[in-house]
This record gives sequence, structure tokens and C-alpha cells, in this order.
Amino acid sequence: MAEEPKVGVYVCHCGVNIASVVNVKAVVEHASTLPNVVVAKDYPFMCSDPGQNMIIEDIKAKGLNRVVVASCSPRMHEPTFRKALERAGLNPYLLEMANIREHCSWVHEKQPQEATEKAKDLVEAAVAKARMLKPLETVRMPAVKRALVIGGGVAGIRAALDIANSGFEVYLVEKRPSIGGNMARLDKTFPTLDCSQCILTPMMVEAAQHPNIKLLTYSEVQSIDGSVGNFTVKILKKPRYVNEDLCTGCGICEQKCPYTVPSEFNLGLGKRKVIYFEFPQAVPLKPVLDRDNCVYFKKGTCRACEKFCPAKAIDYTQQPKEITINVGAIILATGYALYDVKTRMPEYRYGLSKNVITGLELERLTSATGPTKGAILRPGDKKEPKNVAIILCVGSRDEKHLDYCCRFGCVAGIKHAYYIVSHIPDAKVTICYTDIRAFGKGYEDFYARIRALDNVQFIRGRPMEIFEDSNGSLYFDVFDQNTNRLIRLNPDLVVLETGVVPDPSFEQIATVLKCSRGPDGFALELHPKLRPTETSVDGVFIAGVVQGPKDIPDTVAQAGAAAASAIALLARGEVESVPNVASVNQDLCSGCGVCEPICPYTAIVLEARNGGRVAKVEATKCKGCGACAAACPSGAMTQLGFEDKQLIPQIEVLARGR
Amino acid sequence: MKMYLYLGCTTPTKQYGYELSVRAVFPKLGIELVDMPDTNCCGTPLMGVNRFYNVYAPARLMAIAEAGGLDIVAPCNGCHLALSEAAFLLRERRHLLEQVNALLKEEGLKYTGKARVYHPVEALHDLVGVEKISSAIAYKLPPLKFACHPGCHLVRPSHIGRPEKRDGKLKLEALTEAIGLQTRDHPEKYECCGAAMIPYSTDAAIKTVAMRIKRFVEGGFDGVTTLCPYCFDMIDGKQDAAKTITGDRSLSIPTFYYTQLLGLAMGISERELGLNLNMSPVGSVLEKLRR
Amino acid sequence: MQTYAQTDILDAVRKVIGDQRPEACYQCMKCTSGCPAAKVSDYRPHMMVILTKAGLAEEVMRSGIIWACSMCLKCKEYCPQDVAPFDVVTALKNVAISRGYKPPEMLVGMANNVLDYGYIMDKPMTITTTEFEEVSRDTLGLPKLVHPKDVEKFKKLVSSFGYRRLS
Repeated sequence: MAEEPKVGVYVCHCGVNIASVVNVKAVVEHASTLPNVVVAKDYPFMCSDPGQNMIIEDIKAKGLNRVVVASCSPRMHEPTFRKALERAGLNPYLLEMANIREHCSWVHEKQPQEATEKAKDLVEAAVAKARMLKPLETVRMPAVKRALVIGGGVAGIRAALDIANSGFEVYLVEKRPSIGGNMARLDKTFPTLDCSQCILTPMMVEAAQHPNIKLLTYSEVQSIDGSVGNFTVKILKKPRYVNEDLCTGCGICEQKCPYTVPSEFNLGLGKRKVIYFEFPQAVPLKPVLDRDNCVYFKKGTCRACEKFCPAKAIDYTQQPKEITINVGAIILATGYALYDVKTRMPEYRYGLSKNVITGLELERLTSATGPTKGAILRPGDKKEPKNVAIILCVGSRDEKHLDYCCRFGCVAGIKHAYYIVSHIPDAKVTICYTDIRAFGKGYEDFYARIRALDNVQFIRGRPMEIFEDSNGSLYFDVFDQNTNRLIRLNPDLVVLETGVVPDPSFEQIATVLKCSRGPDGFALELHPKLRPTETSVDGVFIAGVVQGPKDIPDTVAQAGAAAASAIALLARGEVESVPNVASVNQDLCSGCGVCEPICPYTAIVLEARNGGRVAKVEATKCKGCGACAAACPSGAMTQLGFEDKQLIPQIEVLARGR
Repeated sequence: MKMYLYLGCTTPTKQYGYELSVRAVFPKLGIELVDMPDTNCCGTPLMGVNRFYNVYAPARLMAIAEAGGLDIVAPCNGCHLALSEAAFLLRERRHLLEQVNALLKEEGLKYTGKARVYHPVEALHDLVGVEKISSAIAYKLPPLKFACHPGCHLVRPSHIGRPEKRDGKLKLEALTEAIGLQTRDHPEKYECCGAAMIPYSTDAAIKTVAMRIKRFVEGGFDGVTTLCPYCFDMIDGKQDAAKTITGDRSLSIPTFYYTQLLGLAMGISERELGLNLNMSPVGSVLEKLRR
Repeated sequence: MQTYAQTDILDAVRKVIGDQRPEACYQCMKCTSGCPAAKVSDYRPHMMVILTKAGLAEEVMRSGIIWACSMCLKCKEYCPQDVAPFDVVTALKNVAISRGYKPPEMLVGMANNVLDYGYIMDKPMTITTTEFEEVSRDTLGLPKLVHPKDVEKFKKLVSSFGYRRLS
């Protein structure tokens, strides 16, 4: 360092948060006695405009070249003060903060004298480090102005459209043959009872036709490399065995196919052909040949689809295709799956009794495109049920299963009651609920409407189990707290509103991306209230149920928010790397390789040099965790902004006795 | 192998058929049963009177077994639960273990958890094995339809580990099929026999077992089998009371301990198996089961 | 008018061994829905829990309804909050006895027999066979009943942790 450090120390009162415990004036006085401290001041709110201006003016007037701010946690205002330094013409990394709030006044409320002494030490330590700080340059890299949305449900479609409408290219990757997700399975959406397909299909078509959206359906993400602004993603496009350029979507192949298997889209309730369209409004409207069940692939015979296709679009030789793309931002919108009630809650007999179904299966029954063309028929004998029991909270709010609330089960169950009584006028419905959560716009009204119906009974009680007698009839007991009676119900159809979990595909993607998950398995947002779409991985955003159970309005709103975050990134067109990255002195490095496997972000590679090898840090991937620097036995690896010669003076101040 | 036979209270003072049939079949399957040198009630019926007794008493029994170097077979569901739950709690709660061992020390005993506890369902299914049983029997019983009633305490509370699971086939069902009988699922298979309600209200208890018997009858079963003296006492012993209290004359079904059925298949005499002690109408079924 | 916050019962319940968590209950009714005793009596496990939580359990200890539980353990197995109503009620029973409330007569006999003989029965029963013979342990050739080796010592040890003779 050529010039003498000139340190300015600024001690914040933070209103009464710091000042009511720590004697701020005493800290300022102590700071002013330290070597190299040119000015020491205090102020009620350092982060305010006048507070920041105080620092800026002092830098200009007094020629300060180092700044120490003693205030709250750097996680709150480090960016604020760095920007202030920048405005004053000083390198923003010549700032050191001393946390005398979270680490001092807030935790030592009852010991103001000791807290003050501690604050003095923390400031002195910060000054010791500040003297040794070096200017650091952020690297600005161009961001690839393209986004990737993983998941083609309503969240993914909305996010893709918003990004595309802003003028940016976006890839929309969906593992199933068609986009639409779980919303495409619904018959109607509450509380307006709009036809789900009718409101979703226009969005799906818009996404397919948008010049800025590249749809990759029947495709799965294999790997994601790189970092914000520059991700390299490998996607595997699975073979449909149909040439999509030649196929017109006429459907003759599906008609002529002689074989059927259970339909996944219909949740096993109906059948589909081996070459099939997922559903009539599928986007893209191209069929898929299910190779595992195809007689041609198994035995070499049939080939009916090939024979009858007027466009000669069937191609049995089609191979999986690996596509590599470069994007600047990624949005995860992989959606949900239902809780595995069959294995985990055998007492409800889902999977054992045919007439016990899930709410989503009921949607397939009532849906005009479903296996019964919209007629509600019991899976057991295909007759209309007259006595339906709908059970809410199956597996939810349960310490033994899913401890969280599924958020939409209550209103979905009320909607399902409506389905039954509107399709089957002489049917009776009993809803067994625990607490009705009808929080959204129009939900309470909807609840009131259904509650008023004579043929719908609300029972406040959660049944423990369901039985099937020797004639195949279902029965169960439930205690109704409302009427204080133990009721025996004999439904001919039971609908379970089950809890939800993140779609299984999320597990692999989260691991690949190192996207944090909460204890409930859903993607972890940076802040539950203020930053719901950002994750711990820069450039990766989340939208929809992958972040937590929610209804369609909240999903779409969050998709817009995630898109906005992505658009902001792409619009800036460049990303700044945080300069506190690992840095290797290759002259000192012995190539021992201890650092490489320690890095959780695979940011270190070993490269050949002078007949041996040395470590090399890919700064764009490095997150500045410091693990490699701590592990390096020779001191070749350091972390910029946290070098030994910066930390040791700090430690020396804090470790000296009193 | 040798195992201590811990009979509890109800079996040796009332349910002699169970004790007789257990003593008759186990040695023939390679398990020599040794009487406990010292014993006490396991505490299950008295959990409401003194909860700590229900930890100390099983620990005492397991410490006695440990001192003798043998594992325990406990034919009563309630006893098996008491022993298993005490073992679980003593593993999880250090202060309980210390309290219990302080008392045991007075008698020169110590509990370390070494002695393992088996229910006959486990001993027969896991230690002997279905294959060995199939080959050890003298003849296969005719494929009459039997309902298996495991009893609450063989199934719950599942978090401490129980011999039976609520899902799929019961070990008891596998054992029943191993001797030639047929089993079938029936609703309320895992439901309660009502025995523990007897002290509070005989009426309530009988009404409860009546519901179980109704399901057996509706299911068209030829008989019922169980391996718990309380469940047997209720299902086998209270059929007349059930008929009287509910007015339903159809509540009648031949009820056997599984070990009695196994003994028959092994060619052991009906007298030796205590089959003349069953209170339900077993005569017609016995005729069909005889060789 | 009743008031809440009689925490002495809740405190006493918490002191009994077990996994009881009456405070966690959100009254979902699952326990009572599956309870065998609820089907044949006025016993309501959810009510036992909420009364304990609210400090109002005196009335159920007094009425003796707490003794109706059939010990099937379904409430413990399926409770979504690990309240374990069974554990709460068993603890209530223990507390009731310590406060002088009498359990059902049969249990009094059984509890006292354990003190005197180590068994809930004082002696093996005589039963009638299908051939109208009267038999008991000895006539059936079963080995003699084993008792606690030192009954007096057993009584003393068991009494030392509060197991009292009931009257």
C-alpha cells in the first residue's frame, strides 16, 4: 500500500436500537484515539440520506481512503454503504462494517457497560482490518439475454410469456408430452368455476406460437453449469418416434393403434393408446409413441401407426437428442404431486378400495375430456354415486405425514361438493373438515353459497380411517364437533383432498442447481415475505408450488414476480460478480489438490503448468465461502477481502485480554 | 433354543388353553420353554393406577431374564407391549433407566436391555419360520376360511416397532396358511376386542366385541384365530353375552388360539391343547379339522 | 361460571411418564372418530385432552369417564399432533388416583392383588370345560404358579415409588 490509510469511523445509534444499550459517544471517543483514524462521528441513522452524505462529504473533504461503519449487520446495509463510497469516488470495497447491533446491543441488553466495551473492541478490530483493505474490482460480465423456464404448468407458461413479451428469448422445458401441468387436469377452477382448460389453453397456444418462446416438450434437464448471467444447460429431448416437422396432428395413428394402457394424464382412471396425445388440447398437438408398451418395439410386429399415417411422420429410429443452451436466468416452476396416501396412510384404503379417490381424480371424472366424458361414475361399478363423502386434510397438518397446510384443499373440497350436486341433483354430499380456510378473493362467498345448500352437509371432524364391508360397501365413523354426535357414514364414493409435495423432478434439479430446500422439501426462498421468488443461487428464481403450496391466483402472481426478477437481470444485460472470491497465487500453489473437492460449487479446477499442476479459480462460479482458503496448506489460496493479513490484525484486537 | 416363558397374569390364571397349547407346540418346533424363576404382573392393566409400575415391572422381568441369560417369549399382547414399550422408554430416557436400576439393585438385578422379547407370532414366524412349520406338521388342515385377529397391541403403537403392521398380510395370516387353512381379509381386522373396558362397563366391552364378531359372521368365516388371552377371552368367551346384550342371535363363531390349530396339525391331542376349554362352539369345526 | 387456567392439573399431567402433549391439540376429532370406547359410551378422547389443556379436567376425574378407555392406542397411532390422547388420559388417571378419586372396583382388586401376590388375580380360576368338568391349573397338570421371589421386598420396592394399596 503506497499511501497512508486515513480511516473514517461512523457509529450509528440506529434510533434506540444501539444507543439505548451502547454508549455511542464513548465508542466514538475510543475510535478517535486509534492510529490512522482521521475522523470519528456518530449519528442517529447512518443508513439515511444525511447519514450517508456525512460519509461522502468527509471522504471528499478529509481525503478518507478507508471507512468503518459501526451499525447493524452487513446483511442489512453493506450494499447501502458500499454504494455511498462509490458515489464519493472511493472503491466500495474499502469499507468495513462492525456489527454493534445484532452482535452487541440486541443480545446484551441487560449489560450496557460490557456492551459498550464490546462495541469499542468491535470497532477497533474493524479499523485494524480496514487499514489492510485493498481496492477490489467487480467484474462485469455480459449476461446472456435469454431465459430458461423449467416446468410447463401455469406458472411456467405465465413466466415464459412475461419474459417473452419483454422482448427476451425464453426456453420453456416440460418433461411431459404437453404443457399445461396439473391445471390442465382440472375441470373447473374456484371460485368462479371457470372451465380450467378454457382459460389455460389460450395461454398454452400463445406460448407455443410466441416468436420468443422455444417450447421443448417431452424434454428433461440433464445438467446445469455456470452461474448467473451465463448458465450452460444440457437438455435431453426424449424421442416421440414422430417427426414433428411432418406430423399434422390429425390423430389417425392414435385411432388406429390397437393397444391401450392406463392413462397417466387421467391418473390411471382411464386408458390411452400406446401412441397417444396426452389430452385433446395438448400443446404441441403431436402424439408420443410409448416405447415401453409398444408391440413393435417389444416384438417387431404391428406398425399400424406407420401404415396409416398420411404424412409418413412415424419414425421408429428416432433417437434422444441432447440440446445444449446458454441462458442468463433460470426459473424453476416444476409444480406439485399428491402425497403418497396409498403407501403412507393405508387406513384410508386409497388403492385398496376402488371407490376411494383423490380430489384430482374427481377432476378427471368431471372433466369433459376425461375417461367418463364428464359423467361422475364410481370407479367400482361405473354407477352414479348418490352419497359422497369428501374428506379434507388427508395427510396435511399432520406431524406424522406433512406438517403443513396444503392451502387449496378446503376450497377444492367445497368445489368438489358443488361438482357432485350440480351433476347429480339427488346426490348428498358430506364434507368432513377440520378448519375451513377460504382466504382468497371470492372464496368466502363461494363457501357461503355451498354451505347454504341443503344437500351438502359440513361435518367438523376428521375421520381416522375408512372400512369396506364384505359386500364392498364403504363405511366410517366421524365425530361431528358441531352437533356433538358420533356419526356413521355409508358413502358410495369417498373423495380424499390430500396434501401436496413438490413434483419428484424437483429433487434432481435442486441437487444439480444447489438450490436450497426448506425442511418441508419445497424450494427455499431468500426471504418469505420480501423475496419470495429469489433463491440462494443467483440467477435462479422460483415460481408456483415448487416454492410452497398455493392456489392458481397466487401461482400466477408469483410467476409474474419471478419473470420480473429474471427480466431485470436480462435487461441490465450484465452481471456483476462479487469480488470476494477465492484467488490463488499459482507461484505458491503446489498442486496438492486439497481445495478442488472441497469447493461446493465446482469452481476450482487443476490445470497443467510447468510440468506439474496448479489450482485455478473460476471466479464466476465462486461464491466466496472461503472453504478452499481455509483448507489450503500452503497459503496459496486466499479469499479477496478476507486475506490473512486483513483478518489477523482483527483477531489480535479481539483476542487480547482485558 | 431355550427361552423363558413369561405368561403374565391372565393366561396362567384363566386362559389355560393358551398355556397348554403353547407348552405343547413350542418344544416340538425347537424352542424349549423355561419357566421364569421369579415373576410379577407386567403392569399393562394397571397403567392408569401407576404409570411408573408399568416401566419398573417389565424392566424387572427383563432383568430377571438377563440374569438367566435367556430371551423371553410373552404370549400375551398386553405383556409384550409392556415389555417392548418399557425397553423403548428405557433406551430413550436416561433418568428412567437410572431410577429403575436403583430399585432393581436392591434385589441384585440390573437392566441393560440385553434380554429380547418375542411374541409367539414373532417366535413362530421369524425364529421358526413358515417353511419349517409347514414341514413340521403331521397333516395339512383342510382349507377352511379363518379370520385372523391380531389384537391392538400387536399392531400399535407402530413407532416403537410392533410384531404386526397395518398394511398387507399379517404374520399371523402367513402362519395360519402354513398349516393349510385359508385366510381372508375382513374389515375391522385391526380393531379392538374391548377387553380393557370390562372394569369400567361390561356392557360397553361386550358391545365392542359384538361388533367384531358381527364382522366375522358376515364374512362367512369358518372360524377365528388369535394369539392374545384378552382378545380370546372376549371373542371366544363372550359370545353368549354378546347375543343377549345386542339381541343378535347370529353372533356365534368358533374361536381358537393359533397354537391350538397348529397343535392339531402337528397331531397333538385335543385334550393336551386345552380344546375342551374353548367356550365358543368349536365342535363342528373340530370335526372337520380332525385327520 | 367456570374459569380457565387451573394449571395444577395440567402440570400434574405433564409430570407423569409418557408422551402427552395436550397443548398441541387442535381438536381435529380424529381420535374420537376412531375410538372404540366412544362408540359404546360417552367417552370422548378429544374432550379429555381439551379439558386437560384448559385446566377443567376435574369433572372427568370425578365422573370416572376417564376409565372407559379401551387402550386400543389408535388415538396415539393416528393423532396428527402427537398429542397422544391415550397418554393424556392415562396421566389423568394417575393424577385422579393420587387425588383420591376411586377407579372402577375391579381395578381396585387387581391393583391390590399385585401388591400381595404379584398377579392381578389372587389365585388361578376354576373353569368349566365343554364336558362340564371343573378344572384349574393343578388339575390340568400345569406347573405351580411362580410368584415374586420375595413378596415383601417386592411390595416394599413397589410402594417406594408411590404405588399404594387402594381401598
